[in-house]
Amino acid sequence: MDFKEEQVSIKQDPEQQDHQHDQFNDVKIKQEPHDHDGEDSQCTNGTQDHDDETFDATEPGVKTESGAGIGITTSPTETGQVLPDQSEVKFIRRQINGYVGFANLPKQWHRKSIKNGFNFNLLCVGSNGIGKTTLMKTLFNNDDIEVNLVNDHEEELATDQEEEEHENQAQNQSHKVKIKSYETVLEENGVKLNLNVVDTEGFGDFLNNDKDSWNPIIKEINFRFDQYLDAENKINRRSINDKRIHACLYFIEPTGHYLKPLDLKFMQMVHEKCNLIPVIAKSDILTDEEILNFKKSIMSQLAQSNIELFKPPIYSNDDAENSSLSERLFTNLPYAVVGSNDLVENYNGSQVRGRSYPWGVIEVDNDSHSDFNLLKNLLIKQFMEELKERTNSTLYENYRSSKLANLGIKQDNSVFKEFDPISKQQEEKTLHEAKLAKLEIEMKTVFQQKVSEKEKKLQKSETELFARHKEMKEKLTKQLKALEDKKKQLELSINSASPNVNHSPIPTKKKGFLR
Amino acid sequence: MSAATATATAVPPPVGISNLPNQRYKIVNEEGGTFTVMLCGESGLGKTTFMNTLFQTVLKRADGQQHRQEPIRKTVGIDITRALLEEKHFELRVNVIDTPGFGDNVNNNKAWQPLVDFIDDQHDSYMRQEQQPYRAKRFDLRVHAVLYFIRPTGHGLKPIDIETMKRLSTRANLVPVIAKSDTLTAQELQQFKSKIRQVIEAQEIRIFTPPLDAESKEDAKNGANPDSAAIEHARQLIEAMPFAIVGSEKKFDNGQGTQVVARKYPWGLVEIENDSHCDFRKLRALLLRTYLLDLISTTQEMHYETYRRLRLEGHENTGEGNEDFTLPAIAPARKLSHNPKYKEEENALKKYFTDQVKAEEQRFRQWEQNIVNERIRLNGDLEEIQGKVKKLEEQVKGLQLKKSHLK
Repeated sequence: MDFKEEQVSIKQDPEQQDHQHDQFNDVKIKQEPHDHDGEDSQCTNGTQDHDDETFDATEPGVKTESGAGIGITTSPTETGQVLPDQSEVKFIRRQINGYVGFANLPKQWHRKSIKNGFNFNLLCVGSNGIGKTTLMKTLFNNDDIEVNLVNDHEEELATDQEEEEHENQAQNQSHKVKIKSYETVLEENGVKLNLNVVDTEGFGDFLNNDKDSWNPIIKEINFRFDQYLDAENKINRRSINDKRIHACLYFIEPTGHYLKPLDLKFMQMVHEKCNLIPVIAKSDILTDEEILNFKKSIMSQLAQSNIELFKPPIYSNDDAENSSLSERLFTNLPYAVVGSNDLVENYNGSQVRGRSYPWGVIEVDNDSHSDFNLLKNLLIKQFMEELKERTNSTLYENYRSSKLANLGIKQDNSVFKEFDPISKQQEEKTLHEAKLAKLEIEMKTVFQQKVSEKEKKLQKSETELFARHKEMKEKLTKQLKALEDKKKQLELSINSASPNVNHSPIPTKKKGFLR
Repeated sequence: MSAATATATAVPPPVGISNLPNQRYKIVNEEGGTFTVMLCGESGLGKTTFMNTLFQTVLKRADGQQHRQEPIRKTVGIDITRALLEEKHFELRVNVIDTPGFGDNVNNNKAWQPLVDFIDDQHDSYMRQEQQPYRAKRFDLRVHAVLYFIRPTGHGLKPIDIETMKRLSTRANLVPVIAKSDTLTAQELQQFKSKIRQVIEAQEIRIFTPPLDAESKEDAKNGANPDSAAIEHARQLIEAMPFAIVGSEKKFDNGQGTQVVARKYPWGLVEIENDSHCDFRKLRALLLRTYLLDLISTTQEMHYETYRRLRLEGHENTGEGNEDFTLPAIAPARKLSHNPKYKEEENALKKYFTDQVKAEEQRFRQWEQNIVNERIRLNGDLEEIQGKVKKLEEQVKGLQLKKSHLK
């Protein structure tokens, strides 16, 4: 409701100016200006003079700096975030020894996060039969991971694909990557996770694996980003569902040689859009040495193609154990994994999850048998939240920035400013002074114009008056003179005539009158 | 088959989901936090001292502030103290917004405006930053809590208190506190508190309260005990509102050999952290120890979102193309906070011109009058001549007549 008040008062300002102009348009208006003075002037009387003076005196730099700050406006060609020049804001740095209690904030987050629950969207990419579903089941120790199929927007996407395929290559219609999204709610010790596994059916199964293999997947990732961006831009954002892909597990076939061109191509397409975690699937057919060599060649291929994998961070409060785990997790990529939820009996007789071969049992949860635990640590136990964090703050942001920039939305860097009452005051003062100066010039011009018009008018009527008078006077004087002349002539002619013709009556009469 | 054997022998290793809250803990711990608190109340109520007491460090000296020496200032200023505090390797960025001059004037009409403007400005600024394509670094001074210091009169709330709290409570988490409560006896304090609570209720001022409902729902589901303790704590906090506080930066011996933060009077020692002396600990629990996150998230999810919605409503379609994609809506520019001094200067300028106009009008009137006078004079002059002419004409006529007679 107060916001409305403001909008009304915005309108008022120009009105006041109009009033002012009105006054000048009609010089004869007398009382009008007092209308506005009355109520406003009562609350102030030369109030902030002191402040401004002290500010100017104590911080001579402020004025020029804030001035520069205003002056810098981003040129449209500039991209990215460029912070405007600003005087540095001072802050106090203190270490607190007592127990104040704000260090509880992470604990409060801990509690709140349990209450809110967690969600995670995982994308699995790999050819059919490579063990995606099995690995998912093993990772989350849940055989129902791919039971609850949510139809999501699949149809929409499917029609999209169809259109394209109709246009391009109708013969390939039977071969297309299908994207299926499954939702499961998992719970462990009161912590709930809403897991969304996005499976890609048919990836890499084509005869000719060109862009049709990865396009539907990229589209899916983008679609989910767009969905989020859309929700973020809405006026009502109460219920934003985060459907963005938080991690992409890429299943590499255990060939033991090199990555295939399709592997590289896909990872190149996707590594800037989601946290990429490559795994060597079904690694139980490779010996330890083969795995080492395979990993080495994969990593060098990825490095050559500048493909960036998710790197677990080392927190500043991490102990030695945690930080070495983070490092180990990164250096052991891609993880050689085996999936199985089947319980088998191992050599010392206990039941373990694994696969039993005539020559031995591979235990899923055994660190020395596969990298399964590393994957579990990276994906779930240690860094699931970090994967989401990076998705949100880096990958999504990059996507958003380029999308908005491509849509022609201009970056206005002037809004990124540390609020500072002094420079804000300066800024407002400058704006106010400019406004005042403009107003003064406007009023002065109108005033001078009106005054000189009036002056001219008066001068004109003055000169006209004199001119007319002069003219009249001349005319009259001429008339007078003419009459005088005439009179003189008449008198003369009468005088000259009277002695001859009619001498007696006039003088007698005159004499008679005067006497 | 597998399920049966599983129960019999091996328990599969945990998936690791239960570690997710710990991951969140680590991330928050790494990132640190930001807490912006606004202090609002007349000068001399111990606002600065309270902040120093709360954070157990001198953020700002309570005395010798510049504005105290200045001659009477008539407007409310905004004064920001920024600090980066570290406790147990956790960094909190604290912004204390002081409002010197609030309520200190004879005429406090609209004294809340600068405060309201500040809160709105911060929301506006954050909204604009959020709308930019590139927004990696954002400046955030959105106010998470407003501490409103009530003078311990024992009588009730002043109109300015009510009006200001009303406006603040729609924009931020309002926490009213009774300042310097050591001037009230326990009984007076109880009465004062209930008076204030009545007014707050009657005026429908929405003050920040710890979330009870969400907790109890969770509680009902789990039947868990730790949460019911939390609810009990929250209830206690709510019942003690508005908190009566005493601030101090000094420590004294409490008679049992322990140094406590307190105020020493000849008749006794007011212990700040003693629940029977004042509500300082409750307020600290509300602001920092227990409900800091709630303050922050309410600000983000409720107050900021409300501001944003109100600003963008009706402007939703600006900048939206034909695509099925919503672009960030563009809000109209906020007008400058109205500084009364500027208004006054503007009016002075207008008045100056009005005066000039009047002076000129006066001059023109005089001039016109002069012209009129001159015209009268000249007309008289002409009339005189005309009279002469007439006279002469008559004379001439007479002469002509005479002449014709003569003939």
